Amino acid sequence: MLESILEFLILGIVLGGIYAMFSTGLTLIFGVLDVINVAHGEFFAIGGYIVFVAVVLLHLSPVLGILAATSGSFLLGLAIYPLLIKPMKRRLGRRPQGPLFLVLTLGLSTFLQSSMLAIGGGDYLRVPPFVRGMLDLTFTAVSYQRLLILSVAAVSLAALFLFLHFHRQGMAIRAVALNPDAAQAVGINLGMIFTLALALGVGLAGMAGALIAPLFNVYPAVGFAFTIKAFAITILGGLGNLAGALLASFVIAIVETLSVLVIPSQWQNVIAFAIMILVLLIRPQGLLGRADQK
Amino acid sequence: MIVSRVMRRWLWFSGAVATAAAAPFVAPHPFLFNLLIQAAVWALLTASWDLLSGYTGQISFGHSGFFAIGAYTAAGLAFHLHVSPWFGLVAGAALCSLVGLCVGFPALRLRGHYLALVTLGFAEIIRLVAQNWISVTGGPFGMHDFGTLPGLPAAPLAHSEVLYLVVLAIAAAAIALALFVCEHTNAGKAFRAIREDQVLAESHGINIKIYKLYAFSLSAALAGLAGGLYAFSIGLVDPNLASPLTSAMILGMAVFGGLGTIWGPALGAVLLFMMSEGLRFIGVVYNLIAFGAVIMVFVIFVPRGIAGLKLGRRTRISRRDATQSKQVGAASDSVQQREVT
Repeated sequence: MLESILEFLILGIVLGGIYAMFSTGLTLIFGVLDVINVAHGEFFAIGGYIVFVAVVLLHLSPVLGILAATSGSFLLGLAIYPLLIKPMKRRLGRRPQGPLFLVLTLGLSTFLQSSMLAIGGGDYLRVPPFVRGMLDLTFTAVSYQRLLILSVAAVSLAALFLFLHFHRQGMAIRAVALNPDAAQAVGINLGMIFTLALALGVGLAGMAGALIAPLFNVYPAVGFAFTIKAFAITILGGLGNLAGALLASFVIAIVETLSVLVIPSQWQNVIAFAIMILVLLIRPQGLLGRADQK
Repeated sequence: MIVSRVMRRWLWFSGAVATAAAAPFVAPHPFLFNLLIQAAVWALLTASWDLLSGYTGQISFGHSGFFAIGAYTAAGLAFHLHVSPWFGLVAGAALCSLVGLCVGFPALRLRGHYLALVTLGFAEIIRLVAQNWISVTGGPFGMHDFGTLPGLPAAPLAHSEVLYLVVLAIAAAAIALALFVCEHTNAGKAFRAIREDQVLAESHGINIKIYKLYAFSLSAALAGLAGGLYAFSIGLVDPNLASPLTSAMILGMAVFGGLGTIWGPALGAVLLFMMSEGLRFIGVVYNLIAFGAVIMVFVIFVPRGIAGLKLGRRTRISRRDATQSKQVGAASDSVQQREVT
């Protein structure tokens, strides 16, 4: 029993790493732009497709594939703000946004998902593991693929943290998240920061999609399940709270994987939403949030 | 003047329903009637969403959940207990109204993004229950062979003709109910007040809790009714009814039609459904691409939807609405400024 708990714990931590890359991107975008990006999962799928093209079709090295997936979704992400969000914000002015951005990104999600379906077909595409072999831990074995996922997730999230705290543009992003008006008043180019934050967020999603492609297959709707789960994670962590999202990713992933020991596995996916609804009833500001936050 | 405006609205509405009832008989074909039946169901579903989200401003991403509950209740009662489909329709709507209250009650504390996400989670839970409670729901492949509405003629064309007229009549009556509640009762005024400014509405003595719950349960009941109609006219219910894609289509249709008008989203649903079915001839995928593109273009450039495109006398009214909402906006702005200083 103890061994299987430890085994599932390790699986949960790896899954948590993927959730963390996905949800911090979503949280970053929400914190800076006040937009919940419903199309986040589509960039996850795009990352998977790019790595499939690079590794399987072009026989490039997986490192190049992951880099291509990250930069590809980053570059696509650069286009979202000027093409969609900016015209919308300009038209709205100071009026309340209501559901409009949710509807907008929902449209983007449908558009991207069905475009991928049109280009790539609906087949489940297999990507071979980037590294083979298992690490023997005596009580269980962990594939190097999962360790690779965890370490890349850790490195990229650490890089994001360092960027946000020590780089000039990163600090500008945090300033805009705190107060856009004040940030603009001290000379920060809001449009550029919005564009950058969006591209960073979806770039992380693309990288996560590329990393996890060998474990899950690649297909157009692969990201959608992650998107709605990421909503539960961001709620648990507190909307717009990066550290909270990080913590909540691991909490939800570990609870989900450990739950298999207690309840039938087909109910596993209900847990995240049950947690989300409970959190909203008991502690709407999230794990690390303060009561005065929005 | 006001009487004539009201009368004109209802004349338009009955005219549209009469046209919808008569027009397909110009070229009767079972395929056409089947499409129109689905369009009528979508119109009701989208109008029910508009009552809650367009009028009251409580954004629901979970109407696919209510839709599925209505469909599964109607189909399940007919399949397992062999009760009359009419009872199944009513039971589905009633159960949805109760579930709507249960979802709406905790949602009283939530606004905007949070409410949207909770309702999305609710719909996802419904989908997973439909998928996993195999003995009752039939699992991933759903339920079929539970019959249709009683008393329909057996010949295919006559069958779909009568079914269409029945579904259209029920859907039109339900949409008319929604329109009546929103435009001719105090509840409708309260809904709009809550949407424009919740705090302001409360300070004017509007019991926002009661009205939000009212909107939630009525909207859920109508969505459940749409689900029951869908079950008996299509003859198949499966867990995908509750998928987020269904909610996405509802939102897209409502935005296309024009939020907060009831008839706009209903009309938008019919037009967009027919458009996407028409595009199916070009390619199954392209209709969804076009769907996504239409949503994006409309939400950015035509935010009032096709309901806002009206020409002639109505524009004066909409302009007056605009100045009113601007005044309300200015008032709430000044309230906020006072709070800050």
